Amino acid sequence: MLEMDADRLREDFPILKAGKAIYFDSACTTLKPRQVLEAERAYYEQASGCAGRSAHALAKKTSEMFESSRERAAAFVNAAPEELVWVKNTTEALNLVIRSFDYSQRKKILTTRLEHHSLLLPIMEQQRRGIVKMELLKTNPDGSFDEQSIAATIDRSTALVAIHHTTNTTGMRAPLEKIIKIAHDNGAAVLIDGAQGVPHSGVDFRRLGADFLAFSGHKMLGPTGIGCLVGKSESLEKLDSFIVGGETVESVHIGKVQFMKAPKRFEGGIQNYAGAIGLAAACDYLSKIGMKNVEEHEKKLAKRMIEAVQSVPGAAIYGSPSSEKRSALVSFNLKGVKHHQVALMCDSLSKIALRSGVFCAQPAMESLGAPEGAVRASLYVYNTEKEISLFKETLEKIAKLGN
Amino acid sequence: MLCFIALGVFAFLSLFSAKYRPLAARAFSCVARKMTLRPCDTGLDEEIKAASIAGIMKFSPQAASFVNRRFAAFSFAFTLLFFASFLLAAQGIANFAIYGNCNGPEGGFCIYSGIQNPAFLKAPSTLQGISAGNESARLTVFEFGCYTCPYTRDAEDTVKFMLEKYGDKVHFVFKPFPLPTHPNSKWAAVAAACAWEAGKYWEYREAIFSNQSYYREGGDAAFKATAARLNITGFDGCFDAKKFLAQIETSISEGKECGIYGTPTFFVDGKAFVGKDAAAEAKAEVERLLGVA
Repeated sequence: MLEMDADRLREDFPILKAGKAIYFDSACTTLKPRQVLEAERAYYEQASGCAGRSAHALAKKTSEMFESSRERAAAFVNAAPEELVWVKNTTEALNLVIRSFDYSQRKKILTTRLEHHSLLLPIMEQQRRGIVKMELLKTNPDGSFDEQSIAATIDRSTALVAIHHTTNTTGMRAPLEKIIKIAHDNGAAVLIDGAQGVPHSGVDFRRLGADFLAFSGHKMLGPTGIGCLVGKSESLEKLDSFIVGGETVESVHIGKVQFMKAPKRFEGGIQNYAGAIGLAAACDYLSKIGMKNVEEHEKKLAKRMIEAVQSVPGAAIYGSPSSEKRSALVSFNLKGVKHHQVALMCDSLSKIALRSGVFCAQPAMESLGAPEGAVRASLYVYNTEKEISLFKETLEKIAKLGN
Repeated sequence: MLCFIALGVFAFLSLFSAKYRPLAARAFSCVARKMTLRPCDTGLDEEIKAASIAGIMKFSPQAASFVNRRFAAFSFAFTLLFFASFLLAAQGIANFAIYGNCNGPEGGFCIYSGIQNPAFLKAPSTLQGISAGNESARLTVFEFGCYTCPYTRDAEDTVKFMLEKYGDKVHFVFKPFPLPTHPNSKWAAVAAACAWEAGKYWEYREAIFSNQSYYREGGDAAFKATAARLNITGFDGCFDAKKFLAQIETSISEGKECGIYGTPTFFVDGKAFVGKDAAAEAKAEVERLLGVA
């Protein structure tokens, strides 16, 4: 396995090449390499038709590009093409499963306080409608799981366990192996929010064993507006319809509809072809780097980043201080300086792009002891240790304001 | 607190560019919340603070730290200064519109004067007015003046000096240009014209300049009392009949045609001098042209 060269990779990213920013906001959305941009452009220049409908050459070309993209995106997480449903983003994928799942026999959904609003809100809405009963798995103030309680909480009344792969607040991973096993032992399905997991680690859907996996293109070098719901075929078939329309049906008569099988059954209307093609290009790009290399690179960055932030007087990191337990994502606060001010000043002083706030995960930030929010530095394949050094210098200057 | 300043600034800029309107809206929301004792929730105050501290930090980290700790106090002080300067600027503009000087009737340095340029003034084309000096002299000096204006009064000593010293070489013409912002200024011009008819113009003129506020406040009674004191016969009849009002109006029209925007305005061989120092500048120009400087 060749070691990845971040400096060389950076040449592929127009924004980095132009020196416009030190980009530490990849948990929000990543930068896009020219290969992805060119792939999207290729659709509009070479095909630009409708897939699966018209019979002309441009439509056929579109179908080929679109279905080839499905195959490559599915292969990226070791799933079959028919197990991959194109969606707008992770939020739509999570909504699709949570709103379409069959709760006729069991009503309990288990999740945690550490989830993104995109996972929590659909569950809370279903509970408000009286369709489900939401319960929480126990987590600790450092963002880790109370693993002893998992077996006691998941029981035969559990319909679905909806949980993150990696949080967007601490970058820490859930003990999925254990949770999935206990859930399946109890006959419950498992939905994984892979928005922060799939881009940063080699997620193998088959080996993971979960029933559903959701992720977004734009958090893994792909375009915005495209995401994937990966589901076991039998699990997808059990879901009720979600967004219905053109190309979701075999036949329609007034009063009688014959829906197609998954994944088409969930892909109503003209799809985001360019987005899917761009996402497949992003998968190819990451596969070429090698997800093991991505993980190794991030581990190094995470270690360096944690050391850098910890060395700044008055800095407090949320979650485990161990780089082994997280992706290259660090949330922190500086004593005496508000998180928004830290982020804005990093931008003003050194063009460092950070996120500040509660990261669309307010209950998570409350449970981590930062109800007002924090600063988040989230790194990816194109970041370097040199950038972290400049970040550290900038933070040290800002920290003096509060000391 | 800086949202108050931001609202003023962005609202003004919004008049010229739509890109400032969202910022103005955020500032307005922030101000509305502050006014109802709620914290600003648009983040604009934090952005302003961060940008300010970052800007200071580039020059001095110590100063940035000092300002950061006392940012609320600095914001409060800057907001008060903003409102104070806004009110003073508004007052200055109002004074400029009313008195032709941003400091009001008493005058003084006025930055707005820069927007009015004497070079654009046009010399009068007639010799109508109060004439003095040598009428056949090659050099003519015109003065557009207001009897009840402090600057015209202040110029009087220099006018007298010029008449005494260069009266044989200069033709001096005074054209009344009463400013409407000064009470009774037009009637002072009418009264002075009546005194001129009676042959006591310069005495009457000196009387007015020696106590302008008396005439500004006293009006008709003051003009008549002065005429009586100077034994000007027929004054009351002339004044009550507004005998010279039409001529004064003509003089005002001529001044407007010349572009007069302040008194006194002197024209020396066609070159204009306006305002507080106009008389001294006109004198220097006369001396230069006469070769006596």
